[in-house]
Amino acid sequence: MTAWGRAADPVLICGEVRTGLLQHSESLPARAVADLLRLRPDERVRISERPNGYAVSPEVLTGVDCRLPAAGGARTRVVGTVAARAVVTEGRMLQATASIVVAGPGPDVRHPWSHYLARPGVVEPLGKLPERAVADGLLAGRARPGELDLGAVAERLLARVARHRALDQRAPFKSRRTRLRWVALRALDGEGPSLDSFTLAEDGLRTVELRLPARVSPAAAAALCEDLALHDWLLTTLVRMVERSRLGSADAPEAVLSLRPAVDHLLHLWMPTAHVDRTLAPLWDVLEREPGFTRQWQTLVQRIRDQLALQAITLRRDALTAH
Amino acid sequence: MLVFAASDKGGTGRSVTSANVAFRRALAGDDVAYVDFDFGSPTAAAVFDVPEAMGGVESGGLHTYLRGKAAEPVRVDVWAETEHEVLRDRPTGAGNLVLLPGDRSGGEFAVGKDVLRRCTDLFLRLNSEFDIVVVDLSAGRSFAMDMALEVTSLPELRGVGSRWLVYHRWTRQHVIAASGLVFGSRGILAGGVARGHDEEDLANRIRFVRAAVPDPEAAPWAMVPPAQSAWMRKCDQDLNELAAQRNVGYTRMLGSIPLEPVLQWREQLITDEDVLSSRVANMETLQALKDLAQALDDDEAWGPA
Ligand SMILES: Nc1ncnc2c1ncn2[C@@H]1O[C@H](COP(=O)(O)OP(=O)(O)O)[C@@H](O)[C@H]1O
Ligand SMILES: [Mg+2]
Repeated sequence: MTAWGRAADPVLICGEVRTGLLQHSESLPARAVADLLRLRPDERVRISERPNGYAVSPEVLTGVDCRLPAAGGARTRVVGTVAARAVVTEGRMLQATASIVVAGPGPDVRHPWSHYLARPGVVEPLGKLPERAVADGLLAGRARPGELDLGAVAERLLARVARHRALDQRAPFKSRRTRLRWVALRALDGEGPSLDSFTLAEDGLRTVELRLPARVSPAAAAALCEDLALHDWLLTTLVRMVERSRLGSADAPEAVLSLRPAVDHLLHLWMPTAHVDRTLAPLWDVLEREPGFTRQWQTLVQRIRDQLALQAITLRRDALTAH
Repeated sequence: MLVFAASDKGGTGRSVTSANVAFRRALAGDDVAYVDFDFGSPTAAAVFDVPEAMGGVESGGLHTYLRGKAAEPVRVDVWAETEHEVLRDRPTGAGNLVLLPGDRSGGEFAVGKDVLRRCTDLFLRLNSEFDIVVVDLSAGRSFAMDMALEVTSLPELRGVGSRWLVYHRWTRQHVIAASGLVFGSRGILAGGVARGHDEEDLANRIRFVRAAVPDPEAAPWAMVPPAQSAWMRKCDQDLNELAAQRNVGYTRMLGSIPLEPVLQWREQLITDEDVLSSRVANMETLQALKDLAQALDDDEAWGPA
C-alpha cells in the first residue's frame, strides 16, 4: 500500500487551509496550545519545539456523500470522509485544514458506511473520476449547493478552536484570515514532486496546484500547504500593516509606533519549511524565485528596522537638545 | 469593539445614524463592519447605496448563516459595490467598510443553542478583523436583541468590548419609551441580568443617542413668531427635565444629531461634499455625526453615569 493510499487507487488529494492570528494577547504557552487542540479525547496532540513551536491536533472526520465540483459540468458523486486538523505555530498562528484523498474509479453502488469509516480521509467516487476536470473544478470559485465544500469544513473547525475559552480574544492587532485551496495530482512514475502553480484568485483566495509522488502522505501534503499559507498570510498581513501605517509619511513616529505589534508578534515567525517533509522542501525554491517570498519579506522587515533605528536616533537627539 | 444599535420604536433614526457613524469611522481609517440584524426593516443597503443588497440579499446572508446553511455570511465591500458617486473612489487612508446583510425573505426567528453558537463565532470573527463592529438591531425587545445580550454574556466573549447605543427621538413618548427599553421590567438591563450580565457593568456600557433633534435656536425654527418660539423652548426644557428624571439625561447621552433636512427627505450618508460643496446638508449635522463616531471609543464618555 502506498502512503497516499489509505485508498485502493488514489488519484488526487485536495484540501483547503484557513489561516489567521490566534486571538490572544500574547503567544499562547505550549500547554494551553495542547488543550486548545485536544479535539478528540482518544488521540494526542502532536507537539514539537524545534526549530519553532508547532502543534498539530488529531484529525476529526466528517462524513460526506456529495458531488465533486468539476470543470465542464461533469457530475461525480463521492462518498467517504473528510479529514480536518488544526495547527498552531509559535502559540501565535492558528490554521485549520480540511482535506480528502480521492480514490480511483469506484463501484457503481454505494458501500455500507463501515467501508468508508475504515478509510478515514478518503472519498470514493461512484463510477469514473475525470481527474483533470475535478482538479480544475476544485480550484475554481465557490462550491455550489450539493457540492463538496472543504472550505466550510475548515471554517467550522477553525471557529471551534477559535472560541476556546483559553483565548482572551485580545489579539495585539486586527487582521484578516486567508484561504488557500490546493490540489495535488499524482506525479508520473519516477518523477519528483512539483509545484505547478500558486495563484491569487478572486476574493483573496489562493490556489496551489501540485504533483506529488505516491509515497507522499496526505498529512505531508497538508503540512506543505499549511506552511505556504502561513507565510503567505505573514507577507500579506505585514504588507497591509506597512501600507496602513503610511511609513515614510510626515508622521513618522506615529507610523513606526503602529508597527510595533508586527515587530513584537510577527517578525520571528518567518521560517519556511520548518515542519515540511524533507522531500517536499525544495518546492519552496519555486516560490523563492517567483514571486520571491523571502526577498519581499526581508525587504519589508529591513524597512521597518531602518525606520525604528531612525526614530531612535531622532528621539535621542531630541532628548539631548532638550537639556 | 462591538457596538449594538437599539431603539424601542421604529423610525427613530437608528439605522441611518448608525450607518453614518460606521462611514465616519471608516473614513477616519478604522476597519468597520456593519451587521444588519434589523431583520424587520433592513435599510443599511439603501443607506450605503448598494443596490444588489437592497432589502437583504437573495441568499447566503445572515439568516442563511445563522441557520447553519452557510459557513460564512455574505459580505458586501461598500467601497467597491456602492453606486454612490462620491463613495466609489475610496478615500486615501480610509479603512475597510463592509456590510453584512440579512436575507431578503429572512424575517425574525427563534434563538436555539446552535444559532447562539454561530452568532458567537460571527462576533468573535468580526472582532478579530474589524476595529468597530456596528450591529443594527430591530426595534424593541427583538429576537436579535436577546441574542446579542445572551452572546455577550458568554465567557467566550469576556475579552471582547461591547457597547450599546439606544436611539430615540426628541419627544415625550420617545424619551419615555427609550427609558423603558433600558430600565423597564422587560428592558435591556433586566434581560441582561437574567442572562448573567452584571447590572452595573452593563449599565455603564449603555448610552442614549438623540436623533433628529430640532434646535429652537437654529433655522428654520428661529424664524417663527415669538409665541411659537417661546413654546418650543419650553417644550425643549420640559423634555430635558423628563429625560433627566427617566435617566435619559445628559450624563447618559452620547450624542445628539440635529434634525437634518437631507435625512428627512432621504435615507443616506452625509458626505463632506454634501456640506462643503453642494451645501445641501448642515455643518452641525456633520459635526454631530463626527462627534458621535469619535465618542464610541472615548472612554471619558463611558463608565458610571
Ligand atoms: N437627523 C435626522 N434628521 C431628519 N431625519 C432623520 C434623521 N435621522 C434619521 N432620519 C430619518 O428618519 C427616518 C427613520 O430613520 P431610520 O434610521 O430608518 O430609523 P430606524 O432604523 O430607527 O427605524 C428615515 O427616513 C431617516 O432618513
Ligand atoms: Mg432601521
